[in-house]
Amino acid sequence: MVRYELIGDLRSYLRSRIYGAVGDWVRSTALRFGYRDYMIARYLEVLGSREEVLNLLKAFEEPLKPSIRCNTLKVRSCSLLAERLGRLGYVLKGISWEPNSFTIEVLGSPPPGATHEFLLGMYYLYRGSASLIPPLVLSPRPPDVVLDMAAAPGGKTTHMAQLMRNEGLIVAVDVSRARMRALRSNLERLGVRNVLALRLDGARVPELFGPYFSKVLLDAPCTAEGLIQVDKSRKARTVLDDLFTARERQVRLLLAAVDSAVSGGYILYTTCSIAPEEDELVISEVLKLRSNVSVVPLPNIVDFRPGLTEYFGIELPEELRYCGRLYPHIHGMEGFFLCLLRKE
Amino acid sequence: MPTEEGVRGAAGGIKCVLGGDRVLKLIEYLLGPDARSIAESLGTVLVCSGEFSEVYLVSNLMADAIATLFKRGYVPYSAGLYAGRLRRSRPEFIPSVSLLQIIYDSVGPKRAIEVSEEGLKPFLYGNDILRKSVTKCYEPVSRGEVVGILGSDGYVYGVGLSNVDSCSELSKLRDLDEVAKNVFDIGWYLRGGTEPRERKYKVK
Repeated sequence: MVRYELIGDLRSYLRSRIYGAVGDWVRSTALRFGYRDYMIARYLEVLGSREEVLNLLKAFEEPLKPSIRCNTLKVRSCSLLAERLGRLGYVLKGISWEPNSFTIEVLGSPPPGATHEFLLGMYYLYRGSASLIPPLVLSPRPPDVVLDMAAAPGGKTTHMAQLMRNEGLIVAVDVSRARMRALRSNLERLGVRNVLALRLDGARVPELFGPYFSKVLLDAPCTAEGLIQVDKSRKARTVLDDLFTARERQVRLLLAAVDSAVSGGYILYTTCSIAPEEDELVISEVLKLRSNVSVVPLPNIVDFRPGLTEYFGIELPEELRYCGRLYPHIHGMEGFFLCLLRKE
Repeated sequence: MPTEEGVRGAAGGIKCVLGGDRVLKLIEYLLGPDARSIAESLGTVLVCSGEFSEVYLVSNLMADAIATLFKRGYVPYSAGLYAGRLRRSRPEFIPSVSLLQIIYDSVGPKRAIEVSEEGLKPFLYGNDILRKSVTKCYEPVSRGEVVGILGSDGYVYGVGLSNVDSCSELSKLRDLDEVAKNVFDIGWYLRGGTEPRERKYKVK
């Protein structure tokens, strides 16, 4: 085992270790399910058994159930919303750990993004339910001042506004012009009043505000390796180098997130990716570069799999076990990663 | 705190002013003094002008953050409650669906027409409101001024431009006569912002 801090060229080290792990079973499994070889080699390293890798790959073939969050900023009774949607033929099932949210078991008509109830802002529509978890983990309450660093299209921003009952302040930042339009549309539709939206590279936030925020959410732009259920092209689209390119941006954004938080503030890093290169290896780099943050345990919202503390012979900081992983074959939702940091 | 003249910021061709009470006077003119009080309780007025002049209501905490942005040479993309759009000619202010909903929920509908379910469907595709779709009318209404478009469930589905001068005029109209022109409908959220939010028009 080699300690993470001692590795000079992580990209070269991992490239040789990952491709060195591509054997006959990895090649044949990748061919069978339509993946790149390196992905299967990594899944075997992370999950530890062929059986579990096959369970993951089979789960990625299943459709993801969409979810809705009843927007209590506009709806007084979520059961009345469920009744209204029931009249349109929808069958909803409550999510045990999020009392205002439902999975859609049977679709009605019109589609869930076109009902009057949707247009009136009575609910937010998600591809899967994992995206409901980050706001619950960060749990903002007034008078928190919150930074949402890659906010568009606004599912997590509007959820946090709901948890804050439209009080306090959320500064929502995104760099994409098109995605900002979607964010603004969702803020208006859902009746959100405590969000200041800025079109800006999140890495520049410390220049503007300094350490100002009590809570920071970075749902980082990623290669979406947890969303293969909704985007099958992801099986073959991304090469190993793409993960390292994404990682550089993620590290830059997470450093800005840390620098934007006040002393005692919390920073939640999440991705819709199960790639350790975008998850634990990002956290490890930030822990190396910033001595004033540490990983803290996640609240027990769902039964998270612990974060990785070793990967292809690399010994990662022990505190990464407090991070959380979600897998479709275990949790019945999209692949996801969460890690909560506290700034000293 | 913002002065009457307002705290100013500009960036990228957008000029913003925090403070001032022109918008509050327009809300009072349209919807009464109670509506003005509600708007005041929602925060400070922020007006940002580029191609359009957009109005927001922001909390004191947000106003402080915006003042910081102005000093650094930035303006917000959007802030707080989107309250509507200012125009140079009548109607000078088009209130947003969100602002109308808050006001109607608090003091009841004013300057509004209620539309049947059959009438809402074409309205949400951008069509105008015809006489046969109107089920209720709430004074005051005046030709060339805005009216809130309500469903029978009490929700605001859009904003129109009235073609009648009082609710009593409705009885003189035929089924297919236009009662209100569509200025904004919540179907816009589905159409994905591929068209201007509030349509451009001239009052005859």
